[in-house]
Amino acid sequence: MTRARRTLLLLVAPSLALLVLINAYPLVYAAVQSVRDGTLIDPGDFVGLDNYRDTLTSPAFWRSVRFTLIFTAVGVFGSWLGGLGLALLLRTRIPGRTVFKTLLLLPWVVPVVVSSTAWNWLVATPQSLLPTLVHALGLGTPLFLADPVWARITVCVFKVWISVPFMMMMISAALTGVDRAVYEAADVDGATRWQQFAHITLPMIARSTYISWILMTIFCVNDFPTIYLLTGGGPVDATTSLVVLSYRTVFQNFQVGPGVAIAFVMTLSLVVVSVALYRQIRKAHA
Amino acid sequence: MRSKHTRRAFLGLGAAVAGGTLLSACGGGSASGGGKLKFWDMPWGQADYTAAARKLTEAYQPAGDLPAAGYQEIQWANFAQTFSSAIASKTGPAVSTGGGFQAFQFADQGAIAYADNVIEQFRKDGTLDDFLPGQVDAMKTAKGYAAVPWQLDFRVWWYRKSLLDEAGVAVPTTWDELLTASRTLAAKGIFGFGTGTGAGNNLGSQGLLLMMLNNGGGLFDPDGKVDVVTDANLEAMRFVQELVKAKAVDPASISYTTDNLITQWKMKKVAMGVHTAGLDTDTGETDGDLRVMSPLTGPSGAKAGLVFQNNIMMYANTPSTAGSEAFLSYYIRNMKALWQQNVVAGLPVLKSIVALPAFQKQTQKAKIIAEWAPVAKTFASRSTTLFGGLAAVDSSQPLTQFAQTVLAGGEPKAALSTLQGALQAIVK
Repeated sequence: MTRARRTLLLLVAPSLALLVLINAYPLVYAAVQSVRDGTLIDPGDFVGLDNYRDTLTSPAFWRSVRFTLIFTAVGVFGSWLGGLGLALLLRTRIPGRTVFKTLLLLPWVVPVVVSSTAWNWLVATPQSLLPTLVHALGLGTPLFLADPVWARITVCVFKVWISVPFMMMMISAALTGVDRAVYEAADVDGATRWQQFAHITLPMIARSTYISWILMTIFCVNDFPTIYLLTGGGPVDATTSLVVLSYRTVFQNFQVGPGVAIAFVMTLSLVVVSVALYRQIRKAHA
Repeated sequence: MRSKHTRRAFLGLGAAVAGGTLLSACGGGSASGGGKLKFWDMPWGQADYTAAARKLTEAYQPAGDLPAAGYQEIQWANFAQTFSSAIASKTGPAVSTGGGFQAFQFADQGAIAYADNVIEQFRKDGTLDDFLPGQVDAMKTAKGYAAVPWQLDFRVWWYRKSLLDEAGVAVPTTWDELLTASRTLAAKGIFGFGTGTGAGNNLGSQGLLLMMLNNGGGLFDPDGKVDVVTDANLEAMRFVQELVKAKAVDPASISYTTDNLITQWKMKKVAMGVHTAGLDTDTGETDGDLRVMSPLTGPSGAKAGLVFQNNIMMYANTPSTAGSEAFLSYYIRNMKALWQQNVVAGLPVLKSIVALPAFQKQTQKAKIIAEWAPVAKTFASRSTTLFGGLAAVDSSQPLTQFAQTVLAGGEPKAALSTLQGALQAIVK
């Protein structure tokens, strides 16, 4: 090993040591917990892959997988569509554009604990604003958080509402990189607005789109507070995602091994999805 | 001019920083903070509770070489995680309050210092006689006293007098009267069984357990084994189903947080329901319109309440076992100050505090001690002792799911069977 290489290694060593301490150690410790039957303060006995087997054969796990997929799909594409629409709208020279942009950022900026409380006030009881409004319109009295189907819809809409500003910022940044001369040329060639959008805008922001999808997928799959604060995963597990199930298993049922096993399965799936989307980015950029 | 900051010096500095960080991260912990015993306490009451409890802690004057005590407030959010990680890393407290079953849970894991010496001292100096009947015995395990009780958290039936008067309904004393009253109230759009099982709200499941206990049932058999599918429980849940059919239960209540439920009480949408002892203070209505019922008589003629004995526990990891014991004894003997200042939401375990004019003035709480405490049963009933597995059952997901199913009108027998399987999986 050359002297320069040794120096380089020494320079990165402190950072590496910290990274190992902060990231690798908890990961390895969690992996160990997932194959044991311990508690929060005692590692317990080695049980092999029993926790994984129990997890993968549990109906509650698969119900959570189903809801996680719905929540993620709606969260990613709902917020992307909303963000794209707003970004395109704000690209036009409307008055008060900066004010709108700032206001639209609020759902992302406000802490989830605050916004979830606000949404709870909005929908929780029959006397809340939204049920009262719906009732006044003669559309009955939907139980937005107590009915399993409505609870799923409410949680997904809440997630989209929170995430739209992030998508809007990502897409706005990407749109600034699209040369307006390309649109002028398309105008000259007689391209319609839709053709310009489909054949210029979307391909030009594809890279940012894929990145934002990857990020939002990670945000949605790992999203604990949005769901937990609004519904606690209920009613009757209707809105229990994998991360909520994992939390409940470890910290409410005190089943550490199975709970960590759920988290590992979730992480593994997330890595697979992220890698697939990352490949799409590289393809789009090639 | 050559710089003094050589590469060797830079690398040395980097190594020192990293080494220091590693050492501080790996350094051994203890239950002493700055030479003091660490006392961790939960926010047990109104905003001024913490200040009063801190003052009481800091007023402790240890004898001889025993350590003084330092106060640390711990929030309820993720408290199990907070305590567990601290205990595992040996940075936890020497003495603490906490979840009602926490002491038993940690005792099973070898982390608790048993309070036998404290109890023995109390026996000698007469303090033991000051405890309400049965409270200290509830802390007893096969290996010793896991903790010392310091306050009681009840689930009892409340009613709003004005709504019952308007509906011409007498205060129910039996289940049949409860159902009849609920039907009358429902005709006026008012709910006779105010409850909630939304995020973080356990009042719904605790209310159902109260009904089981009231009928001679419960979640466990006398040996502490999960025993949910019993005739007594089934009869109790069928009665709840009748209440649901009678529109005594708000269909939206299965998603109600505690705040939502309190709002419904405030808005006079609820006339009767199971709540903690603090409903009147929670709603800010201590004018006497919200009142505690007398314990209901169930179909078998039995009466019952549900009580959680909150306790103070000592940990095996302590800088001084004698110091922990001395502080715990001091705290129990002097905690009267917290009730004199009216800062605790829970009810006292000491007769001398119950007798205080400041406490007796709170008529609803005094009624709970007078009428509900003698018939109250623990979460572990029909088991005769509390045990560590209860920590996993209380506020667990299976119990919440069960309550949501039953309160939504689900078939009780199927719900009980599901609960039996789910609880067996988590209680070991």
